[in-house]
Amino acid sequence: MLKGGLAADNCLEMTWNKDEAPAAGSAGMEPAVEAQDLTKIYHGNIRAVDAITFSIRRGEIFGLLGPNGAGKTTTIKMIVTLSNATSGRLQVFGVDIFRSPVAVRGMLGYVPQSISVDADLSGYENLLIFSKLSFVPKKDRAKRIWDALDYMGLSDRAHDLVRHYSGGMMRRLEIAQAVVNRPKVLLLDEPTIGLDPSSKMHVWKSIKQLRQEFGTTVLMTTHDMGEADELCDRIAIMSQGKIAALGSPEDLKRGVGGDVVTLHLSSPHLDVLIPREIGNTVHSEAKMIQVLTRNGEEAIPTITDFFRSQKIGIESISVHRPNLDDVFMKYAGRRLHDEEAAGAVSARRDIVRHMK
Amino acid sequence: MNIRRFVSSSLTVAEMEARKIRHDTTELWTRVIQPALWLLVFGVTFNSVKGLPSGSFSYIQFITPGILAQSVLFIAIFYGITVVWERDVGIITKLLSMPASRTSIVLGKSLSASLRGVFQAVMIFVLALLLGVKIRLDPVDVAGVFAIVILFAICFSSLSMLIASFMKTRDRMMGIGQALTMPLFFASNAIYPISIMPVWLQYVSVANPLSYVVDAMRSMLLSGNYSNLPIDIAALLVSTTAFVGLASFTIRRLLE
Repeated sequence: MLKGGLAADNCLEMTWNKDEAPAAGSAGMEPAVEAQDLTKIYHGNIRAVDAITFSIRRGEIFGLLGPNGAGKTTTIKMIVTLSNATSGRLQVFGVDIFRSPVAVRGMLGYVPQSISVDADLSGYENLLIFSKLSFVPKKDRAKRIWDALDYMGLSDRAHDLVRHYSGGMMRRLEIAQAVVNRPKVLLLDEPTIGLDPSSKMHVWKSIKQLRQEFGTTVLMTTHDMGEADELCDRIAIMSQGKIAALGSPEDLKRGVGGDVVTLHLSSPHLDVLIPREIGNTVHSEAKMIQVLTRNGEEAIPTITDFFRSQKIGIESISVHRPNLDDVFMKYAGRRLHDEEAAGAVSARRDIVRHMK
Repeated sequence: MNIRRFVSSSLTVAEMEARKIRHDTTELWTRVIQPALWLLVFGVTFNSVKGLPSGSFSYIQFITPGILAQSVLFIAIFYGITVVWERDVGIITKLLSMPASRTSIVLGKSLSASLRGVFQAVMIFVLALLLGVKIRLDPVDVAGVFAIVILFAICFSSLSMLIASFMKTRDRMMGIGQALTMPLFFASNAIYPISIMPVWLQYVSVANPLSYVVDAMRSMLLSGNYSNLPIDIAALLVSTTAFVGLASFTIRRLLE
């Protein structure tokens, strides 16, 4: 009995050692990132992240999708050890983040939501300084930096101060940092927010390229459905600190089932209730209703009959296959709506304050 | 975490600052104005009055190490503002997400303050020589003064970062800086000897790190009497280690 207990203790110790030496344990196939019941509570009672569990495979592009305040950024900050989890477990390539934060940071590259390059340095200097802080071997440094600058289309502006760059160029410089430092896991927080379409494409292309060339695992947050659909192998939909749904974009869309019928009404009707046999209302505004039905084309006559009987005029009807937007509506729709409403109230309060 | 990586990250963070200064040197030059005025106006005037007992040295000799220490203090005590600003533009977030240990980041930031302090010291040496102030220019002593400048700047800039971790905004740091510098300056032996202070202020000056720094600099630049030097350096080393250690522990609070 006693002996068995000791043996178990030894086992435990061995796993600990492996945790602390990621290089030695790299033959194991731990997931790139593994979170278990990860929770962050702010100010005693605000559950920013509420017991989420997910596992990101190696070489995967994994998206956290959700409205503002859903807990995406907090999750990323906990992984990059900028914020302490209140409870739960978190591992990167099998290394426990709470036990060996420095070793974990050594495997990560982080691009925060707001621009984080140093505007008072040149583009080249930004890459140089942060490659030194990431311990890129000295002999590889110059070549990697120039390759990255070339690849991101920044070489001719390499020695200009970053303050003279456009927003898109700054973002590309941040991605270039990842190209130079070659992290095992790249964390991107809203990587294309505020970018023009061509810069956005450039960033998308380079994220895919990073994965292809270096097998980089990517964890990104976004509230752009198109972006998630374009880039991510799997998506976790977050709402109010919880994961509402998790799967590949295709699976999630299939999970919605049927078609989405969008009706534009000629006058505002908030109180209209669509009968169950027609379908489920997934979203409604004053003059717009979205109904999920098994077959959109077949549902149109029934829907028009219903509205005629209610004496509500319809301006237009359209049918489309579910997209991630609809997935989002299905899993987080009502909450998204609530959060937006709360935001609108506080914005109004600000205006009032300014007027005083 | 090995020593080589630790040292290299600290130096890299300081290099970052050095490169920024190279792109824009305005701040370095404007910071020279204040100590220059102290020496040229205050020092020269009181030198002719001979109203303050400055021992066997002329008043301008007496005040030169004091002004040197004071100007380094000003740079260091306001360094927290720079760090808060860097937090606002995302650089601290970036630095703290790097694999380098946070102590090395804080030390690197303090070394950046030292860098400015060293430039300040060079300029004050030049001014003193131009004014014909008699200071000892023994190489060992001059090197010693620079070592004290570096250590002193690390000490107070890390204290400033420690305070900034809790204060979090530039406005508050500005207020704290103002509230700290003048009492530290006037309750020290920088511009008058401790012996002429009221008794209560003498007690305060004993607890004031600036007094030890000025004392160390005076012993190397003027008297060549090193008897107090071990105590001065020990006091400085202890507080520096404590502040760097505490600040590297608290700096993440800046992001919360």
